[in-house]
Amino acid sequence: MLHCLNTSSNLVGGGNISDMTVLERQRARIKFQNEHQQFSGNGFSSSHQQQFMMLGCDSALGEIVTNSMKPDPDYENGFDEETVKKRKTDNKVDLNSKDKRIKVCVEEGESKIVEQRKGQKNTKFNNGNKNKRENCEDSNSKENSKGSEIQNQKPDYIHVRARRGQATDSHSLAERVRREKISERMKYLQDLVPGCNKIAGKAGMLDEIINYVQSLQRQVEFLSMKLAAVNPRLDFNIDELFAKEVFTQNFPTTGIPSEMTNPAYLQFNSAQQLVSCCGGLINNMGIIPPEIGLCRNINAPTSASLPEIFLDSSIFTHILPSSTWEGMVEASNMKMEM
Amino acid sequence: MRNLSSLKKEFLRKWIKGLRKYNSQKKNMNLLERKKAIKLSADLAMASTKDKTTLWRKALFANTSTKIDDEQDMSTTSSTPQKKVIRKNSTNSYPLRKRITGRRKILRRNHTKERVEASFIAMRLVKKRTRKLKSLLPGGKFMDDSCLVDETLDYIESLKAQVEVMRCLVTSSELFINQP
Repeated sequence: MLHCLNTSSNLVGGGNISDMTVLERQRARIKFQNEHQQFSGNGFSSSHQQQFMMLGCDSALGEIVTNSMKPDPDYENGFDEETVKKRKTDNKVDLNSKDKRIKVCVEEGESKIVEQRKGQKNTKFNNGNKNKRENCEDSNSKENSKGSEIQNQKPDYIHVRARRGQATDSHSLAERVRREKISERMKYLQDLVPGCNKIAGKAGMLDEIINYVQSLQRQVEFLSMKLAAVNPRLDFNIDELFAKEVFTQNFPTTGIPSEMTNPAYLQFNSAQQLVSCCGGLINNMGIIPPEIGLCRNINAPTSASLPEIFLDSSIFTHILPSSTWEGMVEASNMKMEM
Repeated sequence: MRNLSSLKKEFLRKWIKGLRKYNSQKKNMNLLERKKAIKLSADLAMASTKDKTTLWRKALFANTSTKIDDEQDMSTTSSTPQKKVIRKNSTNSYPLRKRITGRRKILRRNHTKERVEASFIAMRLVKKRTRKLKSLLPGGKFMDDSCLVDETLDYIESLKAQVEVMRCLVTSSELFINQP
């Protein structure tokens, strides 16, 4: 143990110059405690022994070892001002070989320092960011419990761990929080907009979203035009409409909506079937087998909206073959095709 | 879909109410007027479903109220010059748009160095598309990025509900005509 103490003090003291700041002294103290505890502990893994061997060897060799090990970024960024390599390797070596309790102490000490430094820069606090912060840390260390502990103590700040190799001033941190918020919301959008699962990246997804919103808006336009044409007097008699079985299927009391026009969609896969099917479909509309109300989502709404419009218009010409109506349909088709 | 069917029911109820009101006001509307009436009442109904605090709903309310006012102005036969002036100001301003595009052109001229790195191209693409999305969404120009994504989520959901309800109504009224 004495051997280790000597080497560690050498590395710290020798590596650095005259200024032993409070930080470094604290770190050295903690390190000493940890090593002490480790020696007294029972479960010595081979890795521990290895690392102690490394401490005895050159600091350069130790560097190689630590660089091959998983870097612990939390430590990094607490001391970003001091970029002396020896100190870094020291910390890494120590950290990676700890059990959870000890690590917690170290982290606490370090994070308290971090908080002191960032105490003046007041970042706003959001309770919902707790999970995000823990996710950040998860990828790097395993201190979820520790993170929540700190947050319970000081509920006024957002605690964000800057990862390795990233700037740590408040502006970039705040920006990173904002960016992560946005990407999280985009994930929800991925679920909502069909066909977005394969696309990674903001630009492509935004494109899909724009297309989807546009197609939905166009559908609304078209449907309102159709409704206006169907009802010459704008009287929607709900009671009579509800009498139709079709309507109640769409607004059931059980709360599971079933698509009315699903039979139409099911026939959609090949465009050639469109015209031939619609005739038969219309005759069967009143008798819709309940199993059909299954396939919920339209896979490609952007491409389906146009063929659907064609289908609808062809249905209409089938029902009401009046000349003026056909003119209207042509006009709306042209509009949609644009 | 978190309570899509309840959303649809609410929308349908309010829409029918609005339509009946419209119907009582004017008789014998032609096709285009009917379509406009349908669309406006649908917009209003959509805007008043769920919690009314989202930005796009407020903007939609504002837009539809101006449109309704316009329509009422146009329906009155005697449109005084004052009313004409008001109508011109309320329609979304052609001269204003020109001014804005003019400013953008000037900006682009000063922007001499166009960076070609991938990150800058990606950033430009994203910016262009967010601009487009903002133009699509009602009240979108006043939103920042994070707000925008939330609002589009909500808007897409309501649009979906609206489309489904309308489609259902159309097919059922078709049936009604077919078998009276």
